[in-house]
Amino acid sequence: MKKIYISAILSFVGLLSLKAESLTQLEGSFKTGPAIILIAILLTFVLVGIFFRAKDPADYYAAGRKISKVGSGMAIASNWMSAASVLGMAGMMYGFGYNGLAYVVGWTGGYVLLLILMAAQIRKYGKYTAPDFIGDRYYSRDLRIVSAIFTILISFAYCVGQFGGIGLMFKWILGMDYTWAVIIGSSVVLLYTLISGMIGATKNMQIQYVIIVISFLIPTFIMAFKFDYFWLIPQIGYGEAVADIVRGIPAPNLADGAALLNAYGHDFAIVPSPEFAMPWDPSTGTTFFQWMAICFSLMVGTAGLPHVIQRFYVVPKVSDARWSVVWGLFFISLVYWTAPAYSTFGKLLSSNPEVGVLAKDAIVVYTAQLGGVNSLVVGLLAAGAVSAAFSTVSGLLVAGASAFSHDLYVRVINPDSTPKSQLKVARIGTIIMALAVTAVAIMKLGLIAQLVSVAFSMAACTIFPLFLLGIWWSGSNRTGAKAGLFAGILVTTISLTYFIVGLSGGSLPGQTFIAYWLNVWYFAWIGAPLAIIVNIVVSRFSAPTPVEIKKFLAEHVHN
Amino acid sequence: MGTPDSYNFSLFSPRNLHGKKNRNVILSMLLIWAVAVFGFQLLLRIIEKPTPEKALTLFESTWPAMRSGDLTDAGYKTFLNALVLVKGKNSVKPEDQQVISNAISCVTYNNLPEHIHALVTAGIAEMESLKAKLVTAKDQEYLDVKTSIVEKKKTLIDICEPYSGFIPGSLESEIFIGSLNNNYPASFDDNTYARLPAIMKLYLTHNQSVLTDTIFLGFPFHYFYTAVFLLILFIMLCIVYNLLIEWRLEKEGVVES
Repeated sequence: MKKIYISAILSFVGLLSLKAESLTQLEGSFKTGPAIILIAILLTFVLVGIFFRAKDPADYYAAGRKISKVGSGMAIASNWMSAASVLGMAGMMYGFGYNGLAYVVGWTGGYVLLLILMAAQIRKYGKYTAPDFIGDRYYSRDLRIVSAIFTILISFAYCVGQFGGIGLMFKWILGMDYTWAVIIGSSVVLLYTLISGMIGATKNMQIQYVIIVISFLIPTFIMAFKFDYFWLIPQIGYGEAVADIVRGIPAPNLADGAALLNAYGHDFAIVPSPEFAMPWDPSTGTTFFQWMAICFSLMVGTAGLPHVIQRFYVVPKVSDARWSVVWGLFFISLVYWTAPAYSTFGKLLSSNPEVGVLAKDAIVVYTAQLGGVNSLVVGLLAAGAVSAAFSTVSGLLVAGASAFSHDLYVRVINPDSTPKSQLKVARIGTIIMALAVTAVAIMKLGLIAQLVSVAFSMAACTIFPLFLLGIWWSGSNRTGAKAGLFAGILVTTISLTYFIVGLSGGSLPGQTFIAYWLNVWYFAWIGAPLAIIVNIVVSRFSAPTPVEIKKFLAEHVHN
Repeated sequence: MGTPDSYNFSLFSPRNLHGKKNRNVILSMLLIWAVAVFGFQLLLRIIEKPTPEKALTLFESTWPAMRSGDLTDAGYKTFLNALVLVKGKNSVKPEDQQVISNAISCVTYNNLPEHIHALVTAGIAEMESLKAKLVTAKDQEYLDVKTSIVEKKKTLIDICEPYSGFIPGSLESEIFIGSLNNNYPASFDDNTYARLPAIMKLYLTHNQSVLTDTIFLGFPFHYFYTAVFLLILFIMLCIVYNLLIEWRLEKEGVVES
């Protein structure tokens, strides 16, 4: 039955793609081909979501623990590769050169921490959600409530960037106003998450991963071939283009006697631009400290993101939790090796003054357009970017809804609730969160990657220290955890307050100092270590951890 | 149940031999990870030197003569070329672009013969009005206006070539013509140009070292290391960690629940 169902979906997608081919128009406000591809893909997601929808809370939260390690790795990658990875990262490199690579390294290096320090131990501990773990490990209802609230806030901050990315792509494809694009995109992703839950989402994540990778990789092969670079492995081939940008390419630039041109007929040429590749170049307005702080914050944040940690509950075995990280990281790297190629080609293709500086968050799609890639392929690329945002948003909304219904409603507000009412509360939580995120995303507060990095810093200052010490030090107790969490929240609050005040044109004492050293994109460089130190110091001077907790940790988590 | 202390542990003080071996693996992995990521960037920082592009040297050698009005014809072309090379970078901030465009216009117009000056001024004015039309033009009208702009540009590039030294068809010639405007401060004594040397220095000085200048697989080495190699290393670290842990679990007969 399933096979027939999936074949029907694939045939439908195929038919629509054929139809799209004849209708494609790259120029103009409404792009028919890409729109048809996008609609077909979204329809597929919804149908898969319905087919594999959650039937009870266990399915909704943790996919019934039925996911294999490769499947989970794909889901991790798909869940991870958001609009920030597919659109934002290349945009950062296009705009800030080498400093953009801090995002590439930060968003992959964190998986090493996650594997070595967390994955298997979290699975062994056997709790559904991050607040579940924190409440249980620190034997504290208060900590459960606060961590549930922060899980929601982190998911919220993460979702803002995603909804922005969805809005940008809907705007590009449908040719509509950004605000309406965000509203329509948000409605579709909400509908899909509500009817699918995590089990449907997990199935969809595997499909989404395939779409993201295919759509993201194909244009780079085409552009590398077209512009005479080593096209068989464009992830290596673009290196020569980076060196060309540093040295400059004179016009007319010839290959086999024919001039290389972008889609507008401009020469594939550039004046020497070492600032694109040289570290923390002064002209990009970035510094060595910022590179290190961003990289560190993203790495530590990766190991503290509730929706990422939550994925380790869905694998059947402890070893699956470990290997799913490896698979996940490999699948993620396929895209992360490719993203700099877009910024590189984007830099080259937009070097003519007629083209000018392109919008950073749409650089991936613009690059493919300027590179003369077939409009259907560009449409698929845009649809892939939407898929990336969808897969992440569905995971985030589920994590946020889980925190709301499982950790706040069931554990605190109404412990006698039935599974049916829990599911209802989870869905109401999802709707409220999606509406709030949509409202904030419309404001366009920053670049996608930057907006997402706020969530990472928040997670690094609050959730990460509790997990790290909770797993690796029996001496970390309730009082220490509360004090550490307070320190993390304090740093977060200071940074966010200064950011909001700065954004509204105001100024607080030390505004410039805080804006640089405690910047909202990377405040975890100080917040996370501070939270850990406070936790350790206070734990040492307060009532010890109950022996039952120590025994459980020693015998079940570290045995 | 044992005594409360018998269950005490931390990453640094495990409870048993198995834990100690685990700790050693974890700390080794973390050390490699930290040195590979942050150690390399620190090394880059330590050995880097602010290195000027050739264009900055050329600019700085001609700027004093430009201010005093003693620039030779060759010096004028060198100066103009340096300005154009910065203007062509699409990382230049709009306010800095304006200063450079004005400087390009100033130096060009000041060195054009009277009749050519009038011709170019009229051409630039015409091009600006065409660009204004482009904003509202649609379909065929848009294409027609676009074609007119391209043709006008070509004409102006050809007219200016003997004085600018930019060969028609080159990227520099496009940047040059795109920078000309008729509303510029006419003398380099104007305050607007006081920032010019600092602007040129900002965009033409880069942090370079042997790690950035060495080419590996086509990449500047540091770029390859960060964008490609580190990701491979992360995956390798994860695989090695998993294999080590599983090998030890099997060797010690530990079955994970």
